[in-house]
Amino acid sequence: MFQIPCGHCGLRNVAEFRHAGEQRRRPDPQTATPEQWRGYLYTQVNEAGWTRETWYHRAGCRRFVSVQRHTVTNEIRPVDTGAPPSAAALQAGADAGAPDAGAPDAGGAAS
Amino acid sequence: MSVPRPGRRPARQDCRLPAQPGELLDRARPLSFTWDGRRYDGYCGDTIASALAASGVRIFSRSFKYHRPRGILTASALDPGCTVQVGDEPNVRAAGRQVSEGMDVRPQNVWPSLAHDVGSANRLVGRFLTAGFYYKTFIKPQRLWPTYERVLGTFAPGGRVSGTSKPGYYDQRYAHPDVVVAGSGPAGLGAALSAAETGAQVLLVEEEYDLGGSLRWGGAAELAQLLALRAAVDAAPTIEMLRNSVVAGRYDDNWISILQRGLPHVEERLIKARAKVLVVAPGLIERPYVFAGNDLPGVMLGTAVRRLINLYAVRPGTRAVVLSANPEGDAAVADLQRAGVEIAAVLDARRGEDLRRAVGGTGVKAAELADGRRIDCDLVVTSIGWTAATSLLNMAGDRPWYDASAARFRPSDDLPPGVLATGGLVGDGSTDELLAHGRAVGAAAAARAGFGQAEVPGPLAVRMHPALFRASTHGIIDYSEDVSSKDILAAAAEGYDSSELVKRYTTATMGPSQGKLETVNTVAVLAEATGKRIDELGTTVWRPPYAPISLGALAGRIHEPVRHSPMQSWHEAYGAVPLVAGAWIRPDHYGDPQAEARNVREGVGIIDVTPLGKLDLRGPDVSKLLNLVYVNRWSKLEVGSVRYGVMCAEDGVVMDDGVTGRLDAQRYLMSTTSSGAAAVWEHLEGWLQTEHPDWQVHINPLTTYYASINVAGPRSRELLARVTEGVDLSPEAFPYMRVRTGRIAGVDECLMWRIGFTGELSYELHVPASYGLHVWNALLERGADLAAAAFGVEAQRILRLEKGHLIVAQDTDGLTKAYEAGLGSLVKLDKDDFVGRPELVWQQELGEARRLVSLQPVDGSVVPPEASQIVRENTILGRITSSRRSPTLGRSICLGIVDVSVAEPGSMLTVLLPDGRRIQAAVQPQLAHVDPEGGRLRV
Amino acid sequence: MPARQASARYSAFGLLRRGLTRGEWPAAWRHHDLAPAYDVIIIGAGVHGLATAYYLAERHGIPNVAVLDKAYVGGGGSGRNTAIIRSNYLTPDGVRFYDRSVKLYESLAAELNFNVMFSQRGHLTLAHNDGSLRTMRWRAEVNKLEGVDSEVIGPEDIKALVPYMDVSPEARYPIMGALYHPPGGTIRHDAVNWGYARTADAHGVQIHQNTEVTGIDVDGGRVHGVQTNRGPVSAPVVVNCTAGWASLVSGLAGLRLPISTHPLQAAVTEPVKMFLRTVVVSGTLHVYVSQTDRGELVFGASTDPYPSYSMRGSLEFTEELAGHVLALMPSIAKLRLLRQWAGLCDMTPDFSPIMGITPVEGFLLDVGWGTYGFKAGPAAGEAMAELIATGKTPDIIAAFDLARFAEGRLVGEKGAAAVGH
Repeated sequence: MFQIPCGHCGLRNVAEFRHAGEQRRRPDPQTATPEQWRGYLYTQVNEAGWTRETWYHRAGCRRFVSVQRHTVTNEIRPVDTGAPPSAAALQAGADAGAPDAGAPDAGGAAS
Repeated sequence: MSVPRPGRRPARQDCRLPAQPGELLDRARPLSFTWDGRRYDGYCGDTIASALAASGVRIFSRSFKYHRPRGILTASALDPGCTVQVGDEPNVRAAGRQVSEGMDVRPQNVWPSLAHDVGSANRLVGRFLTAGFYYKTFIKPQRLWPTYERVLGTFAPGGRVSGTSKPGYYDQRYAHPDVVVAGSGPAGLGAALSAAETGAQVLLVEEEYDLGGSLRWGGAAELAQLLALRAAVDAAPTIEMLRNSVVAGRYDDNWISILQRGLPHVEERLIKARAKVLVVAPGLIERPYVFAGNDLPGVMLGTAVRRLINLYAVRPGTRAVVLSANPEGDAAVADLQRAGVEIAAVLDARRGEDLRRAVGGTGVKAAELADGRRIDCDLVVTSIGWTAATSLLNMAGDRPWYDASAARFRPSDDLPPGVLATGGLVGDGSTDELLAHGRAVGAAAAARAGFGQAEVPGPLAVRMHPALFRASTHGIIDYSEDVSSKDILAAAAEGYDSSELVKRYTTATMGPSQGKLETVNTVAVLAEATGKRIDELGTTVWRPPYAPISLGALAGRIHEPVRHSPMQSWHEAYGAVPLVAGAWIRPDHYGDPQAEARNVREGVGIIDVTPLGKLDLRGPDVSKLLNLVYVNRWSKLEVGSVRYGVMCAEDGVVMDDGVTGRLDAQRYLMSTTSSGAAAVWEHLEGWLQTEHPDWQVHINPLTTYYASINVAGPRSRELLARVTEGVDLSPEAFPYMRVRTGRIAGVDECLMWRIGFTGELSYELHVPASYGLHVWNALLERGADLAAAAFGVEAQRILRLEKGHLIVAQDTDGLTKAYEAGLGSLVKLDKDDFVGRPELVWQQELGEARRLVSLQPVDGSVVPPEASQIVRENTILGRITSSRRSPTLGRSICLGIVDVSVAEPGSMLTVLLPDGRRIQAAVQPQLAHVDPEGGRLRV
Repeated sequence: MPARQASARYSAFGLLRRGLTRGEWPAAWRHHDLAPAYDVIIIGAGVHGLATAYYLAERHGIPNVAVLDKAYVGGGGSGRNTAIIRSNYLTPDGVRFYDRSVKLYESLAAELNFNVMFSQRGHLTLAHNDGSLRTMRWRAEVNKLEGVDSEVIGPEDIKALVPYMDVSPEARYPIMGALYHPPGGTIRHDAVNWGYARTADAHGVQIHQNTEVTGIDVDGGRVHGVQTNRGPVSAPVVVNCTAGWASLVSGLAGLRLPISTHPLQAAVTEPVKMFLRTVVVSGTLHVYVSQTDRGELVFGASTDPYPSYSMRGSLEFTEELAGHVLALMPSIAKLRLLRQWAGLCDMTPDFSPIMGITPVEGFLLDVGWGTYGFKAGPAAGEAMAELIATGKTPDIIAAFDLARFAEGRLVGEKGAAAVGH
């Protein structure tokens, strides 16, 4: 149970947060080609190392928090730049938001 | 559970020594219990194993594969041969669990009895049951494998769980100590005391029943020292002492799991501690020696005889042969002599003396020495080396290294900052040296936790120790798994020549002690087999937990909260059949859903829709947000109006729907599906916070602030008028798709939305939750003459299906985009942007592959079950997503999602029912089966 | 070296003879020096890589194959999964593919002369709400159309199969029914890996353990070989059969994949006498459980809720797991959890694998296996071998191509995931 520093609430257990995804830029919806758009939807950097990502403090202040995390050790560093996290959060929000949605009947637990 | 045979006298405690200082027994409190149905006596403070050993019991179990008799080996919780059934609890460590009055203890893995075990025939065929033998046989004929499997399954080791045991009371606790100390030997005690002296809060955790570790079986000086240390711990105000408890795991960021046992009224407690610093001080585990006959009852480790004699006043045998490679072994000889055990021979491994085998049938009868002598004895004791219990350090990411001079693995110097080690893990020393090292580590731990200043001391010196793993003969390496050194050699020869492969192939180290006794011997024999060095091979990774934890303790008290609406008491009183809908429990129906639905179509009904998600949206930019998250247009929604909206995700897939109303210039109320409430809120926050932080919108969830009631049916206006004040309900003043605020049944600030999921004239009321039941009752009372009645979710589903309204995630799936769901007319592609727009542009250009349609079976008496497949021959063209019998039409009606090639109105489709029948169903011209023009909604 | 001598054949007679003579069995697979070139390089000595190699050699006469693994045979996902085999998927593509795998598993012991202990003890997927029950029926109907034995059964039938199960309507998550899939069951995962390795070796395939691929040579849009910690090796075909590291290995060839890597945790209890014959899965409770022939209960759950390459495991996993297991079988609270571990799962957006060709000619993928890779091993190996040997993508894996993501043709297994609640 590693901890994430929330800018509003302090250091909190990761269980209070939802992982909202790698940070990435949303292409211009007017001009994006299907390939670009689907790259944004589906393709991941999936770094084994330091990554910049967004977490949603679901059981706390309900703010989206930007952090750097080492995906092998789960070490966390706060992101000190003012750059807001971007739309990466959103697709994930649609897919995995509801507590009961997510994996159930075909994916996750059906091994 | 059998009663002890009456009249039969308990076994005498022939092997019990007279009272002595340091023993853990309370001689003033004798007790009795049963073993295998027979009564035995012991004392309070005895373990199950020590009490039985005092009465001369030598065989405690039969081994897994060969059903060899097994006795005491380590006399500790790790003892592999002393695993027993206690009542309905399987796999109890008899040498680690205190016995209690009336305990019902039984042997495991025996049939029909411990003394006459049929499975022991396996011993005769042992030479054929080599490592991995089961991979090499039972291959053909394949159809017989299930039969073989059942037979093999009956040989599974372990005790029994029952299907009727009542779950006991377990609980959990959170702790935030500055320092957790795992282990209370001299080093652990020193660490706890010095950390506490700085003011740090210390949790001192000891796996056994008493503090002190090896001090407990030292001499008079050690006992005196132990008493002083215990007194100091008792006097330290910031030390919380947990005995009979174990640090089971260390997880990321020093999240520590501690299993606490022996509590009154609590079976077991799991403590979850966020420790600033963890001090790991579990000491050393004595390593068994591999030689022929090393698993016979009567073969014991030096620490085992010292425990039995000093802690439990048990004489472990009458005539002993001892193999010693260290001072602790020499001390065991002295203990044995003091206990009156005749020492037949002491072999000093430091001088090259060695054992060859232990001889006997159901127990040791003699020892054969390397020099060829054969000595009659009933006890063979070995003290040939140690294993450092590095498990908790492994969990913290440390990979121990093999120190050949000490013949054991040791932790690296590179521990994470929150983890320190002391005691036998880091080196050897006298009691004073261990205590001093512990004190220094404790001070450093406190400093790291913010108390005082101290540096981490270097490791203790390490004593040279001869490397002894296997004698010239072969013996058991893993007692729980019945794996011998020969098995390891065979596995290596077959190519399973790394630590991990040999473990998997032979199952060595996979049993209940998880390698604490076996790992190093396994690696040593593998090194011998492969010609590699132990440090090249390394050990397998130790996994959590350090000690097994019951499922009950892990689960704790099971908290699975449910949500009820304020009207729940009414629902229960009126016989509602509950429906589990995520966290909500809702009325499915009150007895006759078809009648409930008819009552709505013909008169008026009310339904509790409190679980509907409700979000209050305020600010100047709400319409921008709505335009972004919904596919339809929102900029022109007037105050007092509501609109149906559909949300898609960025991939164009329908994720939620609902009605949003504009209450004020800058105030909106959004409703979502019941199951989608949390996700939609998060979705909106995500777009606001990450993509449009400049927009001024504040979101407040109101789902349970309001109780929500839908009043539906042609007489709903009439009913509502009777309880409403201050709102003109006339069709002209309050038309379809409008929202009003007013007083209902005396309750102010109630919202009324004129919408119609059921397809009838209807009003959705959102009333402050504490008045929900009041308004509900008022509606029923005032509508009694209108036959106003409650209806449940099932009736609502019937009604909405008649109207052709879809349910997201039932009539759509994880790939259904807006056009496929028949929602194309809502999608406004001329908006510059909205979530999912590009995918919908492309779907609109290319045309959808599937489409949601209404279907009616030709034979209206057949209701095809939902998920029935729509087929051509055996090719799937779609499926029924919703189906019911329509009380209004007196026939079956459906929604289904089908291939566009057959989606045209009038298409006749074949539906394959689960029972194998194929029926015909016709695609309808529009989604609504009832009132497609919507006249009933707009009256 | 030619194929092994006949006496190495595994049989009860062989065991008997060696027991009497105390003879040793030969190595199941041999060590080799790394050759400068092979016809095919397979990265990853798990079930997918080994099966691909075996079928290449056995079916297609292409034995000049090197299987490279950075650690040891079957050490990744193939040795960390909970060894459940089933074919009760949702889409016809999925059902057909996994049914092929079940069929191959059914005859695998005899084919490989290695007892893989495939135990078709039946597989139950519980439904705790009507939405979930609807999905079960959907799967059952699709399964039946594809000739796969599945049916929806009620609580009484569930109780008969699993006597310890709490099927009372008062349960917090009452069991409304289940998808029952009699051919599903468990297998000894290590035995499958070893059986493939041993037989592939016998056909001339070289298995190189402790051989880590550190680079992939791509020039002019096609692959030429790989760099390893033991030196360079060339080959016109390189297959990525890794799990957990699929996106990193593909990255060496310049490809970025729609994969997010999540730990999947599992745990095992101390052994107790057999009381659970059937595999039980509850999607709502995120748990699956079976009992091994050794008496241990083996548990799995859903993947961790955030991507990570950490295999250290978490306490909260075991807590949630225990709570949910006890919700299903309340009487076994005294059973103790012995060990927990984690593997890495490469999750794709549509809960389906990525198989076949890539924009880099000669660089092939057999990745993205999420939580369902082991059960696919034989069918995946067979199809990948056919693709390599014939240059044509077999129909049975056509739906799982990489291009589907850019082209918006996701596989419908995701459908079931979103219909659950």
